[in-house]
Amino acid sequence: MAAPRVVPFVALLLLQRRPVAGRALLGTGSTCPTNGLCRANVQEQTRRQVALLNATAQDLFSLYLKCQGEPFSSESDRLCSPSGIFFPPFHVNRTTERKEVMVAMYKLFAFLNASLGNITRDQEELNPTAKELLDRLHNTTKTTRGLISNLTCLLCKHYNIFQVDVSYGESSKGKSAFKKKQQGCQVLRKYVQVIAQAARVLLPHLSPA
Amino acid sequence: MWTNPNLRCLLALAILCLTSVVQSRESGSQGDPQNLKCVTHNLHKMVCTWDISSKRRHGQAEFCYTTNDHLPRCYKTKEKRVEIPVPESSITVKITTYSISGTAFATRRFEINKKDISFVPLAPHILSLTPDFSTFTLTLKWSDNGSAFPYGLDASWEIEVLRKETMEDVTRESYNSKLTHEDVIHSWKWKSDMPLECTSHYVRIRLYINVTQFDGHKDWSDWSPVEVIPGKDTEPSGSGLFPQDTVVAVGSNVTFCCVHEEGRQVQRMSYGAKDYPLIRLSSRSSAIRVLNANASDASGTNIVCRMSENGMDGTVLFVGYGPDIPEELSCETSNFVIIKCTWKPGRASGLYGVRGTKYSLIESISGKNVSCEVNEMKKERVCGFPVLADQKTYSFVLGVSNPIGQTEASLLVDLNQRVHPETPEKLTVSGNSSTSVRLHWYINGSFAEIRLLCQIEISSAHSEQKLHNVSMPGGRFSTYTAQLNALHPYTKYRFRVRCSAADHFWRWSGWSGTEEHTTLEAPPARGPDIWRERSPSGKSLRIFWKPLSLSEANGKIVSHEVSCYLLEESLEYKEVTEPSNSTEIKLGRNDCVISVVAKNHAGSSPPSRITSVELPSDNVKTDRAVAMGNGIYISWNSYPNMTCGYIVKWCHSSGSEPCSVDWQKFPSNTTDAVIKSALFRPGVRYNFSLYGCKSSGYQLLKNITGYTKELPPKRAPNFTVEETSSDSILVKWEDMPIEDCQGFLEGYRLSFAKGEKDALKPRLLESGNPELKVKNITDLTKKSLKILDLQGKTSYQLDLQAYTAGGLSPPNSLYVVTKEDSVGLIIAVLTPVAVVVLLGVVASIFCYRKREWIKETFYPEIPNPENSKALQFQKNICEGNKSLKTLEMNPCTPNSVEVVETQSAAPKIEDTEMMSATTDTTVPEDGSDSETENHVVVSYCPPIIEEEISNPPMDEPVGLSQVVYIDIQSMYQPQIKPEEESEIDLVTTAGYKPQMQLPVSALKIESCSPAEEESDKTAGYRPQANTNTWNMDTPDSPGSVESNNENASFGSPCSINSRQFLLPPKDDEDSPKPNNTGWSFTHFFQNKPND
Repeated sequence: MAAPRVVPFVALLLLQRRPVAGRALLGTGSTCPTNGLCRANVQEQTRRQVALLNATAQDLFSLYLKCQGEPFSSESDRLCSPSGIFFPPFHVNRTTERKEVMVAMYKLFAFLNASLGNITRDQEELNPTAKELLDRLHNTTKTTRGLISNLTCLLCKHYNIFQVDVSYGESSKGKSAFKKKQQGCQVLRKYVQVIAQAARVLLPHLSPA
Repeated sequence: MWTNPNLRCLLALAILCLTSVVQSRESGSQGDPQNLKCVTHNLHKMVCTWDISSKRRHGQAEFCYTTNDHLPRCYKTKEKRVEIPVPESSITVKITTYSISGTAFATRRFEINKKDISFVPLAPHILSLTPDFSTFTLTLKWSDNGSAFPYGLDASWEIEVLRKETMEDVTRESYNSKLTHEDVIHSWKWKSDMPLECTSHYVRIRLYINVTQFDGHKDWSDWSPVEVIPGKDTEPSGSGLFPQDTVVAVGSNVTFCCVHEEGRQVQRMSYGAKDYPLIRLSSRSSAIRVLNANASDASGTNIVCRMSENGMDGTVLFVGYGPDIPEELSCETSNFVIIKCTWKPGRASGLYGVRGTKYSLIESISGKNVSCEVNEMKKERVCGFPVLADQKTYSFVLGVSNPIGQTEASLLVDLNQRVHPETPEKLTVSGNSSTSVRLHWYINGSFAEIRLLCQIEISSAHSEQKLHNVSMPGGRFSTYTAQLNALHPYTKYRFRVRCSAADHFWRWSGWSGTEEHTTLEAPPARGPDIWRERSPSGKSLRIFWKPLSLSEANGKIVSHEVSCYLLEESLEYKEVTEPSNSTEIKLGRNDCVISVVAKNHAGSSPPSRITSVELPSDNVKTDRAVAMGNGIYISWNSYPNMTCGYIVKWCHSSGSEPCSVDWQKFPSNTTDAVIKSALFRPGVRYNFSLYGCKSSGYQLLKNITGYTKELPPKRAPNFTVEETSSDSILVKWEDMPIEDCQGFLEGYRLSFAKGEKDALKPRLLESGNPELKVKNITDLTKKSLKILDLQGKTSYQLDLQAYTAGGLSPPNSLYVVTKEDSVGLIIAVLTPVAVVVLLGVVASIFCYRKREWIKETFYPEIPNPENSKALQFQKNICEGNKSLKTLEMNPCTPNSVEVVETQSAAPKIEDTEMMSATTDTTVPEDGSDSETENHVVVSYCPPIIEEEISNPPMDEPVGLSQVVYIDIQSMYQPQIKPEEESEIDLVTTAGYKPQMQLPVSALKIESCSPAEEESDKTAGYRPQANTNTWNMDTPDSPGSVESNNENASFGSPCSINSRQFLLPPKDDEDSPKPNNTGWSFTHFFQNKPND
């Protein structure tokens, strides 16, 4: 299988495109546009959103497998092995500096947001009758969007970071139905693993002082 | 062997010689042309070829042919082949061969007939072979080269498809055409049963032309060169699972192949959850074949190929149905702007998204078409088509297609006959009249070319719903108006409207929203229904009127004008405002004609008149009325002189308020009626008065009383006992109020039986008492009843109930005790007393005469116990307790009693026989010597009071006294230490025996227990008083304060020596009551020890 084509894309707090993908860029001299939009309980809300995603990820993955038909459920280890796909690195732990955790989280959920959008689109085409799956995908995407918004706010408020380079995975558009199913499966399987780690890592960083 | 050159030369020589011999035999001579063959490929020219018998080098050959009509034509050639026109008849051919130097070798002549010429078309040339990988189809194109042949020849083509590297034959198919003397390109399609990517496919073609006029041999052409469609397995990097995302119909057979890189192996392939056997196509391609595929899920069925080195690839097959023919295709317009066509899709295809069913609407007259956006999840599909100007007839074809197939449905419609107008909106109601309104509404649509039929629904609270149709010309997005007349004044109406095409009804539109409107008031339609009643004093007249119904009032009645006329002269005038429905006029003894007019804001009603004159009546009877349904049936005789009808008047009473008068008028030919009223209640008595109407006034004809339904009386009448004797009770009861009767009272029911007042006892009538007696009193005038034949001094329960046709009232109960029969009582008491006295006298006389015998027999002299050392009690013991009579020494006369102590002999009555003491024995203090003694002689003091002892004292050591009580239940036996037991036994054997004779029955009871039996064998001292009477509060009792000690002996008598309480009382077994103080006379009558 060909290596995933990582599209360098700049996800933007300022919605501006940058040709590189990499570490978060600290704002210098500029001001965060969302500075005044942070709510008082944004940290707690962020933690709850991650916890919610973590709590629902496995069910989403299981339902996804069920809706794809056999042998996705019975051979998910082999079919959905995420080794061949791109997934943003998430090498943070509880001792990692909080800023790096926030940036890594932003990259992670920006990627997930786009991937969930692709998966939802593919499943609307492949599985228009699987209402529960589509509902779960929509809800997860909504939560992810809210999480990105909160992370944006936190990055701006605490670190004055207003732009972060993120990479999105390979688009499934134009691929065969099987590849679409498989790619969604791979992303969701990895998502289940990473979201659990994110929930663990995020807890001390976002716990009320 | 063949390496030897000599042998090689020999072999070559031999072959040469052999060849020469053969050739010489065939040709006959050297250089002769032979084997002349002529073949034509196009029927115009033919190619003649020949052989030369000698292998010697030769030069040119001269080929000359001569037809019958022409001169010979000659060709010189070096190729042993000439092309000449196909002769129309036979020809003669002369072939002369020359040497290289030009010398003629040989000449030979041939006769060629037409049948000797063969016709073999040239091999076809494939123009193109095009693959369609998605449909597994190969398209072959070639030219028929028809220009080379005469017109109209039948051409047969044979096309062969081969597969795999080994070019295995897959199919060979025929294709027929007619040659048109033009070069025509033919096309042939072939659908493979496996994806074309799976392996290489080859195609070749050949031709046979059937020329009927040709006499010679005809044959197939040679095969064309093969055209190949290489499979993915031939590409160096080609891999994949094929076909990709294919859609097939349910029941199809599908082949999937897995093309992989060189060096890998396919391990297994699955379709859904099932593995299928592998079919090897090439070293890099394997396949499975799925037969009769079932419908797949929405997301398709996955086919997965597992390869070595953890390789995996997959594809999805979508299996569904072709589109069903649309059902119930219907087209209509709601506004003449858009034609809306609806249909039902029929059987679901099972395919969704891009594979779902697509619809297009084609109007064949105009040639326009639209594609339809439909929602797959909805059952009914809708598609819009624009209304075209100047076109009224539309021929629609609904095309349906999906990847599996396509179908269509058609419909021809005249649009004017398919009008389903939009729902009317903006409905408004206007009007300034009491009977008419105008309605306005708007319909969003262009209906200028048709007429509309609109339906107005009129509803009000007090009338039935009505529909009013109105036809009107249609307009372009217009507001429509309709007027409604003949409405009722002062009525709140609700209107709504819907429309359809008037000329060609198709469908009603939806109902518009509802609008409300109240019409204006109008004067009341008629005067009120009136009645009058004179006051009891006769000086005033009360006039009643009924409220007009809403349909008659035509508005809100604000007042009633009441006038009293006497010969056109107004005596009285009153205006009574609502809500009064009566008024009083003081007339004195006069009469007049009363007129009542109802008034509302719009005007006055016509007057209603009634005369106040009441004609005298004689012998007015009162009848009972019969309930009928929820009314009361009243009938009367026909009174011919009642010219203006009858009036039935009654009165409704509700609680404390004065009753309200109601009446009903009937024509003069009526003799019965069912009076109904919503105010009638069951169980309420209504009094009706029937009046006859004459021109001169009204006359009371009769009174009627009745119930709509009789109920059981609310309660029983109050009753009292007036008189009681030893065998009778006289009861009296009161009349019941009519309102309590709830029906016509039919009688009373008096039930009585023996019984005492007890709240827990069931009611007399419910108890099922067999002695219950019932008296039914149907004479309602009777208000008392004497109950006879009762028992004296007995309690009786009396229940009184009233009953109607509706049932029995609840009972009223009394308890009465009859008086005692004193004479009988006296006789009953005196008779036994007299008998007892008489018997006493006889006994006294008898005893007096036999007194000496009695004394000797029953009362011999008893020795004084004071003379016995064994019973020498200290006199100060138990002093002060007068009740311990048993222990008093005086005035005992001591006797010597020998107590025989034997283990085996049970105590017998004879043992108690008194014996003279022979030996005075003092009881040793410690009893140690008593073990060997069989006879103990003790002093004995006879008891003053004989007691029937049933509980023998149990063995119990008490201090040093060594006095043993046997007659105590074993359960109170003190816990004795084992080392003390032997000592106790010694004591018991030396016990004191009472001299009184124990009852046999008591002994028998005692013998039931082995322990007690053992106790009986020991002759200890028996207390001669009832143990129950011992005072438990004896101050010296050590156990009196230790109630938890089972061995506590409170309440026991003090022993002679120790003054210790020795025996607990049996009564204290369960609940020790320390109130058993002293002796009681009643104890002497006790028969049972426990008592």
